[in-house]
Amino acid sequence: MGGLTFRLKAAPGEQLNVSALTPSKLAQLSQHEIARLHIGTSKQQLTAGDVFDISGSASDVVTIEPGDVVVDFAGSEMDGGTLIVDGSVGSYAGRKMRGGKLDIRGNAGNLLASGMSGGMIHVTGSAGDNLGSVIAGDRFGMVGGTVVIGGDIGARAGDKMRRGTVIVKGKTGQGAGTRMIGGTIWAEGGFGPDPGYMMRRGTLIGSKVERLLPTFVDCGRHDLLIVRIVSRHLKTTLGELAPKPMPLFVQKIAGDMATIGRGEILLPAG
Amino acid sequence: MSKTINGILIDDTFAEAFGMSGTGIIITADTMKWARIAAVTATGFGTSVIGCGAECGIDRELSPDETPDGRPGVRILMFGFSPDALVPQIKNRIGQCVLTSPGSACFSGLNAAEKIGLGKAPRFFGDGFQTAKKLGSSRYWRVPVMDGEFVIEEDTGITTEAVGGGNMLIVGKDRAGLLETTEAAVDAIAKIDDVITPFPGGIVRSGSKVGAKYKGMFASTNDAFCPTLRGSVKSELGPDTLSVLEIVIDGLTSKAVADAMRVGLKAVTDMGASKGVTRITAGNYGGKLGQHHYHLKDLI
Repeated sequence: MGGLTFRLKAAPGEQLNVSALTPSKLAQLSQHEIARLHIGTSKQQLTAGDVFDISGSASDVVTIEPGDVVVDFAGSEMDGGTLIVDGSVGSYAGRKMRGGKLDIRGNAGNLLASGMSGGMIHVTGSAGDNLGSVIAGDRFGMVGGTVVIGGDIGARAGDKMRRGTVIVKGKTGQGAGTRMIGGTIWAEGGFGPDPGYMMRRGTLIGSKVERLLPTFVDCGRHDLLIVRIVSRHLKTTLGELAPKPMPLFVQKIAGDMATIGRGEILLPAG
Repeated sequence: MSKTINGILIDDTFAEAFGMSGTGIIITADTMKWARIAAVTATGFGTSVIGCGAECGIDRELSPDETPDGRPGVRILMFGFSPDALVPQIKNRIGQCVLTSPGSACFSGLNAAEKIGLGKAPRFFGDGFQTAKKLGSSRYWRVPVMDGEFVIEEDTGITTEAVGGGNMLIVGKDRAGLLETTEAAVDAIAKIDDVITPFPGGIVRSGSKVGAKYKGMFASTNDAFCPTLRGSVKSELGPDTLSVLEIVIDGLTSKAVADAMRVGLKAVTDMGASKGVTRITAGNYGGKLGQHHYHLKDLI
């Protein structure tokens, strides 16, 4: 893999905040300074050197091997390079991420990609609630970038999401696209109940939906060019990770008519 | 020094061309027929920047693999005096000729650092029902229309390094043979990327000089190259000349214009004098007005 590797020495008995362990932040530090970075979340003031065996040298690639420890804020504010987490991450992974690639080889917790504006996150497993969603103090959820989830995701993904693309190979939990303002969530395994609650704009593409809100209206069967454009764009940028193209005709369901109703749920037309 | 190739005299002169702003736009449709119809309509009345506001033409046809939506497409080029001068041209031509064409969509056809609005104005036709989809660095507008949705990218690239007015004048003693030879040159130029020949069929029969005896006329007939005035004006034509045709070339780069002139000259000289072509020359203003000089001897 190359680059710096942080391998867990022993379970520290607390959650860790690994927001400092990104390629660009580490590139400016000496080995000594890296070992002294505070990553603990208790008054013990744990440092990276206390918790991890640190090997390799600074480059565009950083690898974290967290074992069973919960690491929050992985790849937070990343702006370039590649961060590989060889295991699962806790909450807020990719928070305010602006560029680069966050490669999570496991599951992700809640609020993955909240406030993300650029770059790419790939999670091989599943992700928790509020993926790409707004948090208190923020105006929007995800505003750019691409997230690919190999498994399922939890509830309220894309809450106040404004731009960007989320690909879910599995299915979503309840209320995907809640209060969505723009962007695309493509769930190959389908949507859980009540997608698009109070959504204004944006696109939810999926194989099926468990239950529709009564404030969504059927606009009929259409061959939408934009679906082909999205598909081609994703194939170009994601390659094998891109979702399978939708059939030529899709059923367009518009909503949420409780707001301005410019959002849409696109399902394969029967 | 002049040179003769296959019986055709090549004048020791140069084409004088000007710096312009240029942009590229991809128009797609369900079939190549309708992409071409939209492209031809959008580039119509786009021969000379002086009278038309922009010089426009079709650069080339695109296979489905080359377009953002996987449908057949056509790349058109537009040239104007400045980026600002192209803004209303894009707005009107796309709004009136592409938006209205069945099944059409419109995308950026030039990747450049500087951008110019493409769908920024036409999207308002959606009357508030238009929605945007941002993918990567591109934003696409979806405008509901009666046959579905008109999709148009928000911006396209623009270059201020473009060149307008590359040219060659083909002189002959047989009108039909001259036209056939000039058509062959236009066909050869059409194979070069990033250039257009904006006049009807790529050919100009009414070459102009700067100014006129009449007030308000910016350009008037190039009397020195009018065969019927030979003898009564200071003519540039020999006694056997019956007709002169010009090819004007606009390109996104100076190299593209030079390449186009090179293949155009080759097409003419390859056909030789058998069709009645006697000479090739070029239009210039003494080298004082245009920044770009294309010497014929350097291109053959």
